[in-house]
This record gives sequence, C-alpha cells and structure tokens, in this order.
Amino acid sequence: MPPAQQRRRRQAAQEESDEDVRQRSASPENSGSDGDERMGGIETDETSQWIKKLVRYALACDFARTPIRRDGIKEKVLGRHGREFKKVFAGAQKQLRATFGMEMVELPAKDRNLLTADQKRKAAKSQSQKEPTSNSYMLVSVLPTEFRTPTLPGPSRVASSEGEAAYTALYSTIIAIITLSGGELSDPRLRRHLQRLNATENMPSMNPNDNNAPNERADAVLQRMQKQGYLHKNVENKGLGDEDSTTWHVGPRGKVEVNHEAVAAIVRKVFDAGEGNEELEKKLQVSLEIQEGKAALAGVAEEEEAERQEANGQPGPSTRRRRRTRADAEEDDEE
Amino acid sequence: MEEEWEPPLPAGYNETNRAFLQAFIARGTLTFREAQTVLAEIKSISMEEQVDPASIEMEEFSEYIKMAREAVEALDFDIRLTRRQAGAGERVWVFINAHSDPPTQMATTHTAEEMAYIKRLLDSMFEEYNTQRMEVMAVDEGQALKVSRPPRSRESGVNGRPNGENGEGAATPADRGLKHSEVLSLLSSLVAEGWLEKSRREFYSLSPRSLVELWSWLVETYNDPEDDWQNIKFCEACKEIITYGQRCSVVECVARLHDICQDGYWRTRRDKKCPKCETAWDGKHFVGERAVTSRAGFQRGRGRKSGGGRRSDLADAIAAQQAAAEDDGEDMED
Ligand SMILES: [Zn+2]
Ligand SMILES: [Zn+2]
Repeated sequence: MPPAQQRRRRQAAQEESDEDVRQRSASPENSGSDGDERMGGIETDETSQWIKKLVRYALACDFARTPIRRDGIKEKVLGRHGREFKKVFAGAQKQLRATFGMEMVELPAKDRNLLTADQKRKAAKSQSQKEPTSNSYMLVSVLPTEFRTPTLPGPSRVASSEGEAAYTALYSTIIAIITLSGGELSDPRLRRHLQRLNATENMPSMNPNDNNAPNERADAVLQRMQKQGYLHKNVENKGLGDEDSTTWHVGPRGKVEVNHEAVAAIVRKVFDAGEGNEELEKKLQVSLEIQEGKAALAGVAEEEEAERQEANGQPGPSTRRRRRTRADAEEDDEE
Repeated sequence: MEEEWEPPLPAGYNETNRAFLQAFIARGTLTFREAQTVLAEIKSISMEEQVDPASIEMEEFSEYIKMAREAVEALDFDIRLTRRQAGAGERVWVFINAHSDPPTQMATTHTAEEMAYIKRLLDSMFEEYNTQRMEVMAVDEGQALKVSRPPRSRESGVNGRPNGENGEGAATPADRGLKHSEVLSLLSSLVAEGWLEKSRREFYSLSPRSLVELWSWLVETYNDPEDDWQNIKFCEACKEIITYGQRCSVVECVARLHDICQDGYWRTRRDKKCPKCETAWDGKHFVGERAVTSRAGFQRGRGRKSGGGRRSDLADAIAAQQAAAEDDGEDMED
C-alpha cells in the first residue's frame, strides 16, 4: 500500500477511536468514580460540545486579534440554539480559566463622541453600569501578574517575533499619549507625536524578520491598529468650507489591554522612576483618574520618549499590561 | 448555571502548566531550547528564585507536554512532535488543531479573498511547481505574486468588460483577487503566524507546523489514490511528508528520503539503491528549493542578484532548466 493510503487509513482509524473514546466517556457506565457529578444524558453532551466549540472559536479569534463577537458565537457555535448562550458562555469561561489561565472580558462599547471625559473614564473602567455594551469580548490572562513577561506573553501574542514586540511597544505608546491627553488627540497632534517617535513615514510592521516588509507605511500600521481595536479614528465633517476634523481615540481592545495601570507603568518607565516617586505618582493620579492637567504630562512624556528612541533606536516602552481582573483564578488551582 | 460541570484536567495541573500552555500557544511551536527558556522563566517566577534554562531536562519538559496534551485533548487540540526537514533536523513540538484544513483553520482570521489566494498559492506549490522534473514545492516571491488574482476563466472574453484597466477583461466579480501589496503583507503575516517559512534564498514553503496540521488535507487535496504519481510524497525512512530532501533519479519513481533521515536509513540497507526501483541512489537529485538552486542556471542568475533583476533571472533559469531537462532528462551539474 502506498504510504499515503496507509497514512490515511491510519488517520481514519484514529479518528474512529477518538470518536469511541468521546462517546464512551460520555456514557454513564464509564464515568467512573466521578459518576455522581455528571449531569444526565444527551443535553449534557450537547452542551459540552458547544462549550468546546466556543473555546476553540475564542482562541482562533484572539489569535487574529479580532473580537470574539456575540453574533459570531451565535452564528458559528450555537446555530439555532441561541438561547443556550448564557449557559455555554459560562461553561467556556470555566474551561478557559481552568485549562488556559485565560478568560473572555467584554470590550468596552465604542467611543461615543458625546460622552463627557468623565463618562469615558467610567466606561473604560467598568463595563457594567448601563453603558452601552459592545457585545464583543477578548481573551485576557488570569494568571498572576508575575507571569506576564516577554517570554510569557499571554493571549493574542506572537511571542517569538521581534516585530510583534516593536508593534506592541508602538501602540502602547500611542495609547498612553492619547490617554494622557484626555482620551482624545487631534490628527495633527498625533502626527507631531509620531514625528518625535521617528515614525511619521514608516513604522515597524508585525514581522521585521521578513525581508518584504521590515517596515510598513505609517498609515497602513495605523489602519491595522484601528482594525484590531487598539485605536479609533473619528472623522467629523464640519460642513462646507471647513476642513474635516479628525480625532484619535483609544479603541476597545486598547482600553482593556493598555489600561490605566499599563499607561502608568509606561510613564514610570519613561521617567525611569519606580512607584516611590511621589511627585510623579501624584501627576499620574491626576492625569489618569481626573483627566485634567493632562497636556503637561503628555508633553513631557512624549519628549522623554523621543529621547529614548534616539538613544537606542528602538521604539519601546513597557509591556506591563492588563491587570489581573479576577480573583477567582486561585480557586481553579484547588483541584 | 451548570456550576457542577468541571472541565476535565490532569491531576496536579496548576498555574505553571497554564503559563506553559499560554507560551506554547503564542508560539505555535516549541523546540527543546525554547522550552528550556520558557520553563526556566516559569519556574523562576513560581519558585521565586533564578532558574537556569540549562537546568531544565528533557524529562521535565516531556512532563509539561504530557500534561498540556491531556488538558487540551478534549478540545480537539493536540501536540505533535516533528522535525525540521532542513539543517540538523531539529525536533519541533507543534500545537495543532486535531482536525484541520485551511478553511476552518484560517477562516476566522482571513477574508474570503485571502483564503482564495492561499488556496491558489498552495496549488502552485503542490501542482504547478511540483512536477516530475522540478519538485520544488516552494515558490519565490515572483511566483507568489503571479497567483495574486484568480486565473481568468476561458469564457471571460464573452462577457468581456472593456472598461477594465488597459481595456483588459476583468476577472469574475466574485473574486477580484489581491493587489500585489496585499499579497506581500499577507505572505509576511503567514510567515509571522507560522504557516509559511521563508528560506535564506527567499523561497516560501510550508512550515513544519503546517505540514503537521494540514497533513490529511494536503493528501486528500493533492493526491489521487488511483494514480501512480503522487503530488505529496513521503520519506522512505520516517514516513512523514517530504517537501525538502532527496529523490530517486528516475523521474517517474516516487521514492524520497530526507537528508536528515539518510544516515540512519542507509545503515539499515545492504546497498545504496532506490528501495522502489533499485536505481543507484546518488543523493544529488533534490526535492524542495534545491531542485532549483542546485542547477547551473540558478547559480549563474544569483551572481546578479539585486532588486528586481533577480526574479526574472530566476524565472529564466527555471525555464531554461526545464527545457534542458526535457531534452536530456538530466540535471546540469557543473
Ligand atoms: Zn524522513
Ligand atoms: Zn526509484
């Protein structure tokens, strides 16, 4: 038999036996000593299939940094069983935490231009109160923060690529600047900041190991940052004769991934200060919590950053990101 | 809600296992050396003391792999071991979807046009540039760009839309293909995502991860069990798919052997003859990019390598060699 057929047969046999195993483990007489904990029959089996599909879907979406959409879950996972959403979602969360140390968090709703800075701050902080919901999610790590290092990058990261690191550094910096500027930055101002970062024309692309595109046009990279939800661009048509006014905001993924704590960490790194620097901490407090007096700090931060850039030729600050959002990860350990 | 339900996990599965799994998934593949770095870092964190990567033994790594595999098995993920076909044949552990084909695998992350392009790219790797005489199974940039758009269907002249660029008939409205710039950025993201590898000589080929993950899809798509000739062939020694290695010098013969497998293989044989057709095995007929690069035309072309010149040189070299090979059925070795 040619190897191809052999292999195919072997593969088929394996699939069959996989199937057997799955069915066997779902049947009551095989459930062994945990038998009491099992829920009855077919419905359970169906639910666990949906949970499995949802977990797989979530990982696939996050790998591409596309949001995990509620609609997508209904379409690709549940089909006509849309009303099972809550149950399946909860099961998938449990599985994600227990197996991968990850969970889905809801992305904040899109920027509403009408929101006041204060409301925006609230929206960024918690997605709960009557704010419009985005109905999309992303994966974050629920491992203790010590486990967040460049070698252990957590969800939605390509660990080995230098380009990825440069890209991450760049959007983190831009998000920090926007955040410190009160959550909004005019287009000319963004461009001026980019100039200081030496990134007006070209930016590091995701994959500089590739000879084709060690750098990409800045606009292409900004576009990717928008598509992936790191940035949000708002173009307002002011009517005849007036120029359109374009402003940049932090996108939903950006808000979760580069949250205020991460922004603070970037600033501390830029100023080369630990958490002990009281004056800086006070300024941070003011900028991040009250969103006033922001321009001053943003100005200094960006200049320092530009100097750093020139010094080591690398865009680059901190990647300390995402705070651990749940306290129940420990519970998962106790099994 | 179903609070009673607990995901099945191996006994003793803890934070270090989860951190390991996250690092593995982020990379897609792990070599032992990479694993040593990852595990040393995880242990340093969990034990709160510096751990030297060199102190991580294979046994410990295997234990982490085993646990990870058990943990993800029920989710139809798997971890498989393969080897790089080129170089020293380094062992690579691959995190894969157990039942995978490009459509389900990449559909969430790529547009329909990109998916159609990827299929055309694979077709050119495994059909067009994988002939009996030139078994390249890799493409250079120019060849990758050549399939940017779907081939114009024969009848397209009929509905010929004269308003296309330069009066050309446009391709079907359903799939307009990709722009060259889009192809280049897609290729680079496929390399970044670990689906493609780009060699030093700038050939794109399937990565070890793709070969493991797309194994059955490739065989199903490109091999016809009725046919003697198979587009996808297997190493005589390790029985894995071969896209880089040696071939029998008889063009019709499908015997193939990895460079990395040859030492062990010939040790088990009485003589160095093709196991299928008994022709003497010279080790100078190649599968993979060397099917092109070992040829005289390519060597000449390389002398002028720079910018846009290279591509047409290479294309010329291939064309010339193909013509020459058809004349005498032999490689032109200097
Ligand atoms: Zn082999
Ligand atoms: Zn032979």
